[in-house]
Amino acid sequence: MALIEVSGVTKVYESEGVVTAALRGVSCNIDAGEFVAIMGPSGSGKSTMLHVLGFLERHTEGTYTFDGKKYDDYSAVDIAHVRNKKMGFIFQTFNLLPRQSVLENVKLPLLYSDVPEREWDALARKAVERVGLSHRADFSAVRLSGGEKQRVAIARALVNNPSVIFADEPTGNLDSKSGGVIMETLHELNEREGHTIILVTHETYTSEYARRMIRLKDGIIELDSPIKNRIRSGEEFRK
Amino acid sequence: MQAKHIVRTATSSLGAHKSRSILTILGIVVGILAVMLVVSVGAGAEALILNQVEGLGANTIIVVPGREPKGPSDPAVIDTLYGDSLKERELDALSRSNNITGVQDVMPIVFGVTGVSHEGETYQSMVLGGSELFPDIFGLAAAQGEFYGEDDVRGRSAVVVIGSTVAEELFGESDAVGKNIRVGEFQARVIGVLPKKGQVLFFNADESIFMPYTAAQLYVFGQKHFNRIIVTVASHDDVPVAVADITATLRALHDITDPENDDFFVSTQEDIADSVGTITSALTWFLGAVAAISLVVGGVGIMNIMLVSVTERTREIGLRKALGATSGNILYQFLLESVTLTSIGGIIGILLGAVGSYGITLVLTNIAGLNWTFIFPTTAAVLGVALSFCIGLVFGIYPAYQASQKSPLEALRYE
Repeated sequence: MALIEVSGVTKVYESEGVVTAALRGVSCNIDAGEFVAIMGPSGSGKSTMLHVLGFLERHTEGTYTFDGKKYDDYSAVDIAHVRNKKMGFIFQTFNLLPRQSVLENVKLPLLYSDVPEREWDALARKAVERVGLSHRADFSAVRLSGGEKQRVAIARALVNNPSVIFADEPTGNLDSKSGGVIMETLHELNEREGHTIILVTHETYTSEYARRMIRLKDGIIELDSPIKNRIRSGEEFRK
Repeated sequence: MQAKHIVRTATSSLGAHKSRSILTILGIVVGILAVMLVVSVGAGAEALILNQVEGLGANTIIVVPGREPKGPSDPAVIDTLYGDSLKERELDALSRSNNITGVQDVMPIVFGVTGVSHEGETYQSMVLGGSELFPDIFGLAAAQGEFYGEDDVRGRSAVVVIGSTVAEELFGESDAVGKNIRVGEFQARVIGVLPKKGQVLFFNADESIFMPYTAAQLYVFGQKHFNRIIVTVASHDDVPVAVADITATLRALHDITDPENDDFFVSTQEDIADSVGTITSALTWFLGAVAAISLVVGGVGIMNIMLVSVTERTREIGLRKALGATSGNILYQFLLESVTLTSIGGIIGILLGAVGSYGITLVLTNIAGLNWTFIFPTTAAVLGVALSFCIGLVFGIYPAYQASQKSPLEALRYE
């Protein structure tokens, strides 16, 4: 059974009487351990799809099964717990708490988990080390560069050891060098540690770190195929 | 999420907006401070009045002519001043120790206001005629000279003891003892001057003159009756029985069977203390309640700031939700922030209130010269903390609910 099973999912927004269909019947399965890039021009529904998959908003029609259970079978509290334990999020705008230290930011998901507090520090430090920011652990988040901020966000997404990491345009606010480091980190997490990664991007070069591409257009899947000329290591990118 | 972390999260975000938090707290501080001051000063005033009332002696019973007035506009009030139902006969009956349980002293009092003068200086003074027991019963002692004695009472001596204000008005700086003054139409010799004493129950000792009741009856007022009879008993516990005995004795003497027809009534210090206490504490709590209205204003301020804070922190709320916070977690976080704010405000208000009312005590004792005691209003303090906590809860619930209902997505998109 696939980790994510989407069948005939639509998402319709209604605002001031204007109805907009962002997703118009999407079906696909994503297995644990995949690295999927969701692509498409702006307005194609790729962000909406990520939000639906990430339990950030409910789909309108169709069925979405996550980890063997339908969305509607989860209670509101269950949904919060799934987001906390099984999902990690990386946003384009980083969304760190600016006044708190790197370590405190990384601990944030633990605050809402049932992990005992005595383990928080070790888990957070391990996650910070994983993204190569141990030397910045006690820095206030505002003092970091954009690339560093996004690496903190990755550490935060990792700290609860989720089944799937959702990344929404993670390199969108970064220069290409920092963006490369981020993509390489995600690549490694998938390749070496088997994390499932679902990436939304409109940049072709970032999508090339993924193994599979789902291309959306006008709210339907236009193309769903493996990526052939995949970037295997960061070295190639840095050239 | 553990309570400890909710507290930590709430306090750290309050700390992040220090000046705003302080300003918000101020409303609550002022409200609690006002309540504390009113209640503390009210309690002090009550204690002061009760102290004076009880200073007369908890063992003192006053017999008053006329039936007991039902209110200040009851015509019976006139009888309490001019009634003539208490005479020598009644005094004798009450003086017999086998009539009244525990009786110690019995003293008649006659009083009225008369002009007193000395060498052209005139003063309208309260004239109080009593027996030689007067200084004991009312806790008075002459500062210069002496009080009149038993012989003066028996012999209707034309002697007076004058209050400090009377002495000042008539004699200025010079010595009054041994001089003659005019009391109404008759001459009396000043044998003593009282120290400054102030109000003693129903008369102001400073503005009064004191003389043997026999002389006052004959020379000043031309009356055979008494205006009051004071009975003291040995023990406070005897008071209720003594009151019943006095009532029975006087009814028997006056052939009264129906209490409706009483031509006297008996009042105790306890009655007076009770009514004074009821009035002052009612007044205190009423003023306290008025002050508490400012707390509601403070509460609205809290709500206002919390709503601003929720809007401002939409992104943070969204992020927390995306990372797994439940609506309950967010609700508690914001509720706790407002409760923390108001509780801190409440505690500061109570401390300032205690300091403030202590300051008022110092001013009243040292500058106004009152025998004022500092009373820390424990009830008001406990109530104040509870009230400020509740205000945080009540005025924080709406903003906290607003925060908890934000969708993580909407929140993250919010710019």
